[in-house]
Amino acid sequence: MIQHFPVLAVMGMFLGAFLIEIFGSKNAAVRNAISFITFTVVAGLVYALVKPIIIDGGVIAYWMGNWEPVAGYAIGIGYEVDALGLVFAIIAITAFWISNLYSFGYMKGEHHLGHYYTLFMMLCGSILGFCMTGDLFNMYIMVEIMTFSAVALTGFITEKDGALEAALKYLVLCSLGSGFILTGIALIYLQCHTLNIAQLASMLSGGLTPTTLLAFALTVAGFGVKSFMVPFHTPLADAHAVAPSPISMVLSGVVTKAGVYGMIRCIYIMFRAMDLTQMQIIITAFGAVTMFVGVSMALAQHDFKRLLAFHSISQVGYIITAAGLGTALGLTGGIFHAMNHMLFKGLLFLAAGAVLHQTGGVTNLDKLGGLSKRMPHTTVCFLFGAAAISGLPPFNGFASKWLIYQAAYTKAAETGNFYYLIITITALVVSVMTLASFVKIAQAVFFGQLSEENKDVKEAPAIMLVPMYILAALCLLTGIFYRPIAADFILPAVRSAVDVVKYIDVMMGEGYAAAAGVYNMAVSNVMVSSWSPIVYLILFVTVFIAAFIVILGSKSDRGATVEVDPKNAMKHSNFFSGEEAVYSHVGGSDMLWGYKYDFKPYYRVMEELHSGRVTDYCNMVVIATAIIVVFMFMFMR
Amino acid sequence: MTIFNYIACILLIVLGLYAVCTQKNLLKTIIGLSIIDYGVNLLIVSTGFNDGGSVPIYQMSDLLNGVSAQFFVDPVPQALTLTSIVIGACVNAMSLAIVVMIKKKYGSINVDDVRRLRG
Repeated sequence: MIQHFPVLAVMGMFLGAFLIEIFGSKNAAVRNAISFITFTVVAGLVYALVKPIIIDGGVIAYWMGNWEPVAGYAIGIGYEVDALGLVFAIIAITAFWISNLYSFGYMKGEHHLGHYYTLFMMLCGSILGFCMTGDLFNMYIMVEIMTFSAVALTGFITEKDGALEAALKYLVLCSLGSGFILTGIALIYLQCHTLNIAQLASMLSGGLTPTTLLAFALTVAGFGVKSFMVPFHTPLADAHAVAPSPISMVLSGVVTKAGVYGMIRCIYIMFRAMDLTQMQIIITAFGAVTMFVGVSMALAQHDFKRLLAFHSISQVGYIITAAGLGTALGLTGGIFHAMNHMLFKGLLFLAAGAVLHQTGGVTNLDKLGGLSKRMPHTTVCFLFGAAAISGLPPFNGFASKWLIYQAAYTKAAETGNFYYLIITITALVVSVMTLASFVKIAQAVFFGQLSEENKDVKEAPAIMLVPMYILAALCLLTGIFYRPIAADFILPAVRSAVDVVKYIDVMMGEGYAAAAGVYNMAVSNVMVSSWSPIVYLILFVTVFIAAFIVILGSKSDRGATVEVDPKNAMKHSNFFSGEEAVYSHVGGSDMLWGYKYDFKPYYRVMEELHSGRVTDYCNMVVIATAIIVVFMFMFMR
Repeated sequence: MTIFNYIACILLIVLGLYAVCTQKNLLKTIIGLSIIDYGVNLLIVSTGFNDGGSVPIYQMSDLLNGVSAQFFVDPVPQALTLTSIVIGACVNAMSLAIVVMIKKKYGSINVDDVRRLRG
């Protein structure tokens, strides 16, 4: 019985989408009832898989129409759920369940809500299918359904400024990414004549031929586009900023994770290339750049949701870096952070949505302020999320980020490679910058002076507050009980990502992997390392002193008068004990102003890169893909 | 003769990428995307092709008796191509619909004008 649950979960979601389109386009109560029941039933089906897969450590294989392998060749389409896929499926269904509840309050009064819920459920179904399938082409189909429904939902409120533009950019870039994935799949089929991931894993174990190497590079680049790592990140910031808030939550919490899951599935299980040093270096390099660019762009934003969108990019960078380290500890931190990111970023987007909903669509940080007096519950929830994303104990962000630092540092100590120390320090600095930018939002939106226009703002309705409180409670609970969660929930997923032999044997029959000569990857399995915070502190202080000396020694305009626009003189004077301006509000773009002034050249380059032209973005995608392909052909043959 | 197929599909993909990366008109960007799609479709269908192969329809007894020793054309890539064509049509329809609405809203389909979200 239990082996039917994965396929029933996916089918149930699509069936619900179908039913809503038929019965729910007129009546709101029917629509909400259908979507709530479907999400609850599917969540029940997915959670029922926890016992056999995560606790007992099994793998469920299911052949569509009972087309089982003949003579060692997979003919039919197979679903295969291991702990790795199940953890991501649980992340997805939890986020969707909460987001669906929030949609009831947030989307009330919009037009064509029947289509909204249809697309929403198709998005959920496709991600569940993506996480549970064992067939490469089926994975591609699910990615495509995911892209379409995400694009349509991004531009759902077409009147909103920029919604169509963001949808178009998202569609064009994701179609390029899908094209790369499909080319990769075609090349793999050309070489192996099968599409089953388990069988491919056993066939590709004997090293890569040039064809499969090209396929590998294209697949990694394609899933990179889906996970929006830098330099593929540009449409994400636009899309998350203009999408309805419940959609922003699932786009950032789940859709980007699906890309990361695709990469992990591809690199760890299908090609089993993660034990190669070059592979680790390129993935961690992309991850580190992603975290830094994401957070530094976030510091310069004026729009509430766009700022959060850039933080999503930065946090996905953490996950990619951790997964790219190729150690069990790193992957644990990465998957744990994927779960935590869904919780706290979902919470932050919902809080942003509450502000947006109650103030009538204002997201500009310069126009908000002092809302804590009017929206106390939203403020509390936001502060929980902000503390979690900045990595403050005892919230969940602290636990997973600590695991990631520890993994990166252990890797540096093991390999003696200076490169991993840079990664560790980048991860730390990015965390500090995250905190800085959340201080900025908290000041600009919730504290400070209440502006005239927002005098009559009310607290959000209960249907929107309940999902926020659920997420806030989960952020705190997963932070306090991090040890059982990491050991009993995340670690089985890590084991299944490393245990390729079992994955193959369950799907293709006992002994298949041994016959094909497949062995498990040599991934270091050290969970408790000789971790000494003192060494780390000394390192950090040394780096700080070095940086300080470098800055002091360099020629700078320290002490020079900064030109202040006379129009804005009053605004800045409360930094210089000006008395008349004590009660004026410090706007979002005035915070961290000195930092932005000092890094002007960097921001000028970044502004040039984020030009808003879809052609430029496509160029970035093609160039980055070319770099990945060339790197692999140079260093991995 | 499959080598020409591969050359043609690489040419198509590169042409499509060229169009996507250089053309300023959004319609041409979308045409570029569909050219990439056609290239990939050609690649997939070529992977299953056998020159002089037969139709892959057999009786079970034929297979058991080893009657059909000759090659047959692999049917799986054809199924994949059909699926991929359908998806390509969806991409076209959806992106063209968005472009029509952008034209109504922005009054232009030049990428230099459609860039309100940036920075």
